[in-house]
Amino acid sequence: MAEKNKGAKTTKKSQLIALSAANKQYSFTNPLERVVKYKGENVKIKLYEDPNGFSYVLWKNKKYPLEIIEKSQNKYTVMLNGVWHSFTVETPFSLKRKKFLESQAGTSSSVTIDAPMPGKIVEVLIEEGAEVKSGESLLILEAMKMQNEISSHVDGVVKKIAIRQNDSVMKDDLLIEIEKS
Amino acid sequence: MKIKSILIANRGEIAIRIMRTAKQMGIETYAIKTAKEPTAWYLDEADHIIDFTECLSDTPEFLDIERIIYTVKDNKIDAVHPGYGFLAENPVFARRCEEEKINFIGPSSEVIYNMGNKTVAKDLARKYNVPLLRGSKGTLLNADYARRMANIIGYPVILKAAAGGGGRGMRVATNEAEVERMYHLASKESAKAFNDPSMFIEKYVAEPRHIEFQILADKHGNTIHLGERECSIQRKHQKLLEESPSPALDPELRKKMGEAAINIAKAVGYYSAGTVEFLLDADKNFYFMEMNTRIQVEHPVTEMVTGIDLIEQMIRIAQGEKLRISQEEVRLEGHAIEFRINAEDVQSGFSPSLGTIEKISWPEGENIRVDTGVRDGSVITPYFDSMIAKLIVYGESRDKVLQDSTNAIRKSWIKGTKTTLSFCRAVLQNGNFRKGNFNTSFLSSELKIHYHSEPDEEMLAAFFAVYDYARDLEEAEGKKLNVDKGKNITPWLLNKRLR
Repeated sequence: MAEKNKGAKTTKKSQLIALSAANKQYSFTNPLERVVKYKGENVKIKLYEDPNGFSYVLWKNKKYPLEIIEKSQNKYTVMLNGVWHSFTVETPFSLKRKKFLESQAGTSSSVTIDAPMPGKIVEVLIEEGAEVKSGESLLILEAMKMQNEISSHVDGVVKKIAIRQNDSVMKDDLLIEIEKS
Repeated sequence: MKIKSILIANRGEIAIRIMRTAKQMGIETYAIKTAKEPTAWYLDEADHIIDFTECLSDTPEFLDIERIIYTVKDNKIDAVHPGYGFLAENPVFARRCEEEKINFIGPSSEVIYNMGNKTVAKDLARKYNVPLLRGSKGTLLNADYARRMANIIGYPVILKAAAGGGGRGMRVATNEAEVERMYHLASKESAKAFNDPSMFIEKYVAEPRHIEFQILADKHGNTIHLGERECSIQRKHQKLLEESPSPALDPELRKKMGEAAINIAKAVGYYSAGTVEFLLDADKNFYFMEMNTRIQVEHPVTEMVTGIDLIEQMIRIAQGEKLRISQEEVRLEGHAIEFRINAEDVQSGFSPSLGTIEKISWPEGENIRVDTGVRDGSVITPYFDSMIAKLIVYGESRDKVLQDSTNAIRKSWIKGTKTTLSFCRAVLQNGNFRKGNFNTSFLSSELKIHYHSEPDEEMLAAFFAVYDYARDLEEAEGKKLNVDKGKNITPWLLNKRLR
């Protein structure tokens, strides 16, 4: 218990890094203090809640509304001024470990095509083992009464088709896996 | 005959919009309540509510012709306003109204039928020498016929649903191999959406502007136009932003196109408010596309620059009144832009964003108009269109409107759902849009990133993630005593005390 408390103290004082989806690092020291250290400089980022229930940050005399729209463990999606940003929050140690693990894993040559929106599979236009070119249509997904052609963004061979005609899919469901050529 | 009561066979912002004018005219309003959104705002604005929450058939409430007809008669309601979408351009509904002596606030069923069928509309336009694009004279027999027609017309071609609208049932083919596949796709989509698989084909103008003219016509043969709307900012044929006047038109071209629009309306015996759509190519040649026989989503920009209430005009025309404005008296003053705010995730290909709007706050000002059907606590359901609001900004010039729009968008705060506000910002940032130099290919060729984020925004968002994470850690590890209390305390409340 005593040790944990000590840990909390160091966390509060020490450095946390938000790692963006594009691998950009935003490092802050003393995030809970009045003055935060960012890029070696002391900055004041003021957070407020207005009487209407909006949260916003005041930065260089401008108000930016913000909210957390997704949060699980250290994964965050924050909507700020109408645009969402995804991050994982890391400590300097966890970031190092993460980078090490990623370098060990190597790069996978297969890509997945996920459902961009919830809908129904109207037609599958390719078969497993078929060669596809970037831009080629793979299947037709009906959503909000529109027939949307889902196309490949890589050249390759269809490794796996995870859906069938008339299947209903949720957003981000795996549709097709393609082995890059 | 004077209309004393109106059933609004619609929902959302347009229902509220119609009720606003009806009330000003001393007309009683009736709205339809559905089980899909029983607490929606538009219901609070109506004088009377018709309860359709009990499901009587598979037909969606706002498409249930006989149930609506019965309701109108049962409640002795004088007139029906269909709004846009749903039954607005359904000739069967308009005809049933005519048969039952219900005043349908719109044109005659015959006109809706003629203009709804694009091949009939084009034949009429041809007869009155309104310019048209090369294409099939009637609907296509099959895919093979489409392919042969395409080879004659020359590529690219566009396949369109004869009964189409709103971007559905439309596909472009750039070569012979694509035609048959696109034919089947579009035809299937059309069969689903409009219960009619028939298609026609025409030459595709690659980078046209979409310009439409607002028409007003009474039942006594008077027809005028209220200038144009520039609707070229589209995604997959869905309009996202409209303005009036168009930066592409000069008074001479406006006069020519306006006259062509009036000719078409007169040719079909049009009355009520209607819209004639044209394509305008890079050399400023215009081609008739279709006529929409309803009030349009983007009608507010015309209202702003003309000062004419289009819903009021529709009601007066339906009552048999003569137009009180002549073409010479129509003045187009200033500039207006409408931003459609859809509950969509721009960053994920404009996919629908469902959920509850926790908080919403709009900018205020003399030159700002917000037409919306949602408020704090409104639920966005998958059953209806994703458009939740229209922000309309008016000013003396386009430059002034662009400037004020940036501020207005900045002051539009919506919490709880993703919206196209970030897209509006991206458009406003674009140099060619600001110069008025754009066409319907704007999204695919010019605006590479469909949302706009200011330089420090990602850093600020990152800070908030770090801040929240650090607070959670502190709470979990250090403050056991406050665990129960802490659950409901947001970092913000603590923050206010601290700072």
